[in-house]
Amino acid sequence: MFGWEYPPRHLGGLGVACQGLIRGLVNQNVKVTLVLPFAADGSEDQIDILCPQEHHIQKIRVASLLLPYDSAELYAQRIQSIPRETAQIYGADLGHAVHVFTETSVEVTKHLQPDIVHAHDWMTYEAGLRSARHHGKPLVTHIHATELDRTHFHPNEWIYGRERWAFEQADHVIAVSNYTKNILVQHYGINPDKISVVHNGSDETYHADTAPTQITPMSGKKNPMVLFLGRLTIQKGPMHFLEMASMVHRHDPDVQFVIAGDGHMFPSLVHQAVKLGLQDCIVFAGKVSSDEARKLYTQASCFVMPSLSEPFGLVALEAIAQGTPVILSKQSGASEVIGHAFKVDFWDTEKMADCVLTILRETPLASQLTAEAPRVLQRLTWENQADKVVSIYKNLLHS
Amino acid sequence: MPPRICLYFQIHQPYRLRDLRITEIGKGKTMDYFDHDKNRSVFRKVAEKCYLPANRLMLSLLQQYPDFQIAYSLSGVFLDQCEEYGQDVLESFQRLAKTGRVEFLAETYYHSLSSIQDTEEFCEQTTLHIRKIEDLFGMTPTVFRNTELIYSNELAQTARLMGFKGILAEGTDHLLQGRSANLPYTPPRFRLPRRKEMLIARHRPLPQRSENISVLLKNYRLSDDVAFRFSDKSWVGFPLNAENFTDWLLGGGGHSVNLFMDYETFGEHQWEDTGIFEFLATLPHIWQERGITCATPSQVINAWKHTDAPVYDAHNVISWADTERDLSAWQGNQIQTSALKAIHALGPLVKATGNPDLLRIWRKLQTSDHFYYMCTKYWNDGDVHKYFSPYDSPYEAYRRYSHALCDLKMRVEPVKASRRDASTKNIKTSRRDVSNKQHTAHSNRPKSQSPIPNP
Repeated sequence: MFGWEYPPRHLGGLGVACQGLIRGLVNQNVKVTLVLPFAADGSEDQIDILCPQEHHIQKIRVASLLLPYDSAELYAQRIQSIPRETAQIYGADLGHAVHVFTETSVEVTKHLQPDIVHAHDWMTYEAGLRSARHHGKPLVTHIHATELDRTHFHPNEWIYGRERWAFEQADHVIAVSNYTKNILVQHYGINPDKISVVHNGSDETYHADTAPTQITPMSGKKNPMVLFLGRLTIQKGPMHFLEMASMVHRHDPDVQFVIAGDGHMFPSLVHQAVKLGLQDCIVFAGKVSSDEARKLYTQASCFVMPSLSEPFGLVALEAIAQGTPVILSKQSGASEVIGHAFKVDFWDTEKMADCVLTILRETPLASQLTAEAPRVLQRLTWENQADKVVSIYKNLLHS
Repeated sequence: MPPRICLYFQIHQPYRLRDLRITEIGKGKTMDYFDHDKNRSVFRKVAEKCYLPANRLMLSLLQQYPDFQIAYSLSGVFLDQCEEYGQDVLESFQRLAKTGRVEFLAETYYHSLSSIQDTEEFCEQTTLHIRKIEDLFGMTPTVFRNTELIYSNELAQTARLMGFKGILAEGTDHLLQGRSANLPYTPPRFRLPRRKEMLIARHRPLPQRSENISVLLKNYRLSDDVAFRFSDKSWVGFPLNAENFTDWLLGGGGHSVNLFMDYETFGEHQWEDTGIFEFLATLPHIWQERGITCATPSQVINAWKHTDAPVYDAHNVISWADTERDLSAWQGNQIQTSALKAIHALGPLVKATGNPDLLRIWRKLQTSDHFYYMCTKYWNDGDVHKYFSPYDSPYEAYRRYSHALCDLKMRVEPVKASRRDASTKNIKTSRRDVSNKQHTAHSNRPKSQSPIPNP
């Protein structure tokens, strides 16, 4: 398996999803050899053994500066910050880096004898394909985010082309939602018959007794808080969050907002927040750890995911696991699986604001969302989702 | 003698809410909560597919077969929508009424859940409905059917005291316990609390209370064969023809086979191309050949010459909804119960305004459909909606509804008085604040924790 970040280090779904899926597969007695891009100067010895089964996962690390959700610009920034001699090992630009990663990882996996080759997101697809060809085995391309999602349908043509080529070549494609499957069919022209949808899972569980008690009039005048959590990129819709926030603020100046996460839009978001007069009621929390994230979810009266195009949106599952009512962009995979939530078009910030204010005003509504939404987590375990992946493997091997 | 066939059809349309926004609340005295375009388009769609063609067919059957008779319950809000969106539909019902072989039943005007919430309101809405039927069709209903066939012993006694001689109910297996649904039943005899009896007497829609009341039970198997299974290709009875169905009707024997269903069965739930209209058209012909007569609910009751009837003991409330046949479709979760409680809590305030427009709006918001749209019973994550709803989700239904409630509340709250109260309160509170602050400063306690003195 050509994956990412094991264990997950960055905020974002890709590493978490890879880890969840691999653990699920290992539980199903699938032997996984994981090939990971890995910066040699980084924390090499940070090999955390998080659960006993992980002894069964063989990890192969390939020196690379590639990061999940990379773009040419981000890669260029990073490569400039390291010594030139080291940089040459990784590749001078993103294209070269992918090439280097591909060459190396194909080489180091030649001795393996896999039954299936499974690759996650475009940067690993060529490595996956060449490895599959070398071993004469089927290739599964797993898509967590397309270039169209990341760029709001203004793709880097080269990356888009790489993706499409890999989907065409793959024996089977796993999409993380029907939403993503539709994108692959409509915008990449991929045959729907070879795409399976396996929603992301969650190993979080919700315990009503440990959940924060609803803010009641007796608990004093604690201001309600509305949360955004995600990379500050166009895909995640932080600007729409601000627009929504300013409408909520106009109606109820007591509401606080927290934007957690970092990304290149940070300066423009701060600028915009001030322009909208939100400076006194908004906090930019920066990048947060998963513990901090959990705390923010529990503090929030509601969580808003206004993504412009969200293949899945694991944060939504994390939020409901903490008993937080959620408002989800209809342009997301999470909205397919979370029934007990408000779902709005990402551009309809007025309605988004209205849903926020309704949740804040209506205690029975908030408490029902809190209680009902997490039921889906019992069904969406990684074990169940890995089960679906295993049956896809079996179909491929027997066809 | 073979059992009589008792056909009764339910017709209702709610006033669906528009996409209300919080920013509109409290802004205007004339804010309109309802989605007229949507309501008109649904009404016209169903009119073209069901009401008009079905009524045409019924009229021709009534003219052709002297023994054919039917009963309808038309909700008051449906009749209001006829006046707004479909005079042609109303006239077609009036033509049916003129044949003299169509019975109209009484129900709550607003198709509400008032029977389980507010007895006085329940009586008033039933009275309104009876007057409406008298105005439009020139006859006074004597048999009552409650919203979604909601029924209980207590309701049967209430209806008896209101003056009805018959009431419809679902023939559920657990209450029948192996007995036939094809006989008129009687509720257990008991007295309601004195206050309630007096309340009913004061608001009784009909001139005098009845000594007895008969309960006509829906034969749900045979009714649902037509209403739900007619076009179901996986059903063992498919394709259903009028001959076979008549055999089944006779098979159970008894006094009458009560086929109760949504009128939308014809043309809307079962589309025209399923052959539902041909099926319906053939039935009276076969019944005539085989000497089977039809009877309306009041005729079924009048024809029962025995002095006693078996007891139908519905201690708990039943309905015709879902497999549960209970109230969970309307009050099964927190948002439903809170919305239901809130709308009925507004009653005294609305009535105190004496404003007929506000009263009408308040009552339109009592229509059971609003609560049904908030049902999450089968709202399993990711599953296809098993509930018909004009809205995206039960939460969207609640969002719109709660906005309407908030606005209505502001409109009915006694404005001047409350303002005066508020301003005097403010003065008092600010005085208290001062003393609080002194107290707080003295005890060095943070303000937020200072106890709120009782007024």
